Amino acid sequence: MIEALKNRLIELTLPKPVRDRVDQAPLRLNSAGFDPWGLDPKTVKIATGLLRWFYSHYFRVETTGIERLPKGRVLLVANHSGQIPFDGLLLALALVLEATPPRIVRAMAERWVPTLPFISTLFARCGTVVGDPQNCVELLNQDECVLVFPEGTRGSGKSIFKRYELQRFGTGFIRLALETNTPIVPVGIIGCEETYPAFFHLRKIAKKFGAPYFPFTPLFPFLGPLGALPMPTKVTLRFGEPLKFEGDPDASDRDIQLKVDQVKSAIRSELSVGLAMRGRQIFTQPGK
Amino acid sequence: MSDQRPTILITGASGGLASIVVDILTQDYRLIGVDPRPMPMGRNFPGEFHQIDYSHRKMSEIFRQNRFFALLHLGRVRADGHTTKSFRYRVNVLGTGNLLRLARKYGLQNLIVFSTFHVYGAHQANHVHIAEDAPLRASQLFPELVDAIELDHVATTFMWQYRDVRTVVLRPVNVIGRRINNTISEMLRANFCPTLLGYDPLQQFVHEQDIARALYLCLKGDKSGVYNITGEGAIPWSKAILQAGSIPIPVPSFLAYPLVGALSKLRLSFPEHLIDYFRYPTIVSDNAFRKDFGFEPSITTVDALRSLRPSGS
Repeated sequence: MIEALKNRLIELTLPKPVRDRVDQAPLRLNSAGFDPWGLDPKTVKIATGLLRWFYSHYFRVETTGIERLPKGRVLLVANHSGQIPFDGLLLALALVLEATPPRIVRAMAERWVPTLPFISTLFARCGTVVGDPQNCVELLNQDECVLVFPEGTRGSGKSIFKRYELQRFGTGFIRLALETNTPIVPVGIIGCEETYPAFFHLRKIAKKFGAPYFPFTPLFPFLGPLGALPMPTKVTLRFGEPLKFEGDPDASDRDIQLKVDQVKSAIRSELSVGLAMRGRQIFTQPGK
Repeated sequence: MSDQRPTILITGASGGLASIVVDILTQDYRLIGVDPRPMPMGRNFPGEFHQIDYSHRKMSEIFRQNRFFALLHLGRVRADGHTTKSFRYRVNVLGTGNLLRLARKYGLQNLIVFSTFHVYGAHQANHVHIAEDAPLRASQLFPELVDAIELDHVATTFMWQYRDVRTVVLRPVNVIGRRINNTISEMLRANFCPTLLGYDPLQQFVHEQDIARALYLCLKGDKSGVYNITGEGAIPWSKAILQAGSIPIPVPSFLAYPLVGALSKLRLSFPEHLIDYFRYPTIVSDNAFRKDFGFEPSITTVDALRSLRPSGS
């Protein structure tokens, strides 16, 4: 009966062409309909159906260069921001709704995500995997589309005063790309850095809750759950030219850092073009 | 003795798994079964059966009277509601140690030890497709499982130390089937089956027929090593319950741990640390076993789950 309800929900929220797009995404499922990380295409459809409105009407997402996305294995590397990772969500929706062929993004999540009830299950069904290098290697070897935010919580937990300043990047993603011979697509995400303008963080309270950070925004925590409402900024996703690296995955940190800096500057240039086009109007449609 | 067939010693002979394995082996081999438990009513062991503790000194008499081609050590005592920690330690660790000492002394050629995937431990940071060289996290996470981990250690150490005995250590995932009476099969056969509210990790299952065939391939093969064994694919616990024809009952974790803890003290339930296997996925890779022994599960996960009930509905 639950299955019938799910099917009805999908029919109600997703028009057939969009439903078919999810089915077109290259996946490897077992007889029960899941992949080894717990991805379930049906949950992806439900999530897409429920969140499509946010994508096209709330954040009015626009993409540029999505056609540059290579077929087969690919590593998406983007700037991270916004306390609650809407950037990853919108990027994932863009790849289901607009990429050809449609892709289901495999986002690398923090290792504590599996400890969260409900969220852990929902994330896994939608394609998120624990950010372990071995997971990443195996996904790339299966020609999946993997999303990493090398800034991690350094990026998502930064204050509004540091918006669009790229924080220190981890270097592991370059080694993984070299090991699996995967092209890297740099993505500049514009608009998500203002969704939760955090003025400052309370480290001690965060530590007490076991959270990575505890932000103070104009609405949070004073308005309680309402404070979780993101600002309706306009979001632009700028996909850069794929970068193909060659070399030894076990090279010294210095050599790897040079490649990391190349990716970082590619993201930075996407960001600066996007920001220049947007100007000061962060909520409205920019003039083209 | 007129019987010229090679002789196999099977531990855990009173268990459900042994009853399936002996059906396959009885054609080609002479079988001797041992188990600290009596043989269940109405079941006949096709060969000699001795009710004996593996650490008992009389085990050596069995070795003296027979020349074994292989020892199939299926007799790991599981941490379920009926066993105490000290009993498990005596049988699993001291018993296994005694068996291996005798195996060495009396020139055993093939040793197959049935360990478990539980040794990898259920942990939030587990990556998918854990290979055999991964650290055995369970020792840190669940001190209660020490007997299972030590059994695995004793067997793998033996394998590296005495290369003249071909040793295969198997770490199978949840074995399910109509004739299997382990905790997981019993849970799935019940009308209602608990899940942890908010958590639904993937689980791997292997059907009793497939595991019996895997053991047969081990006997016939010539490789030694440590191998994971899995079935066809992984499935979320709640879906597994539905496929098995049971109804999932979500229990919040703040209730589940104390409840199971209290029940296990009364020996009515499995120990509470095993709940973590219903919280975090422990997905192992069987690539090595497939490659070295040509194993391919013949029954899909869904079919294996559906086969648990006679009606199949």
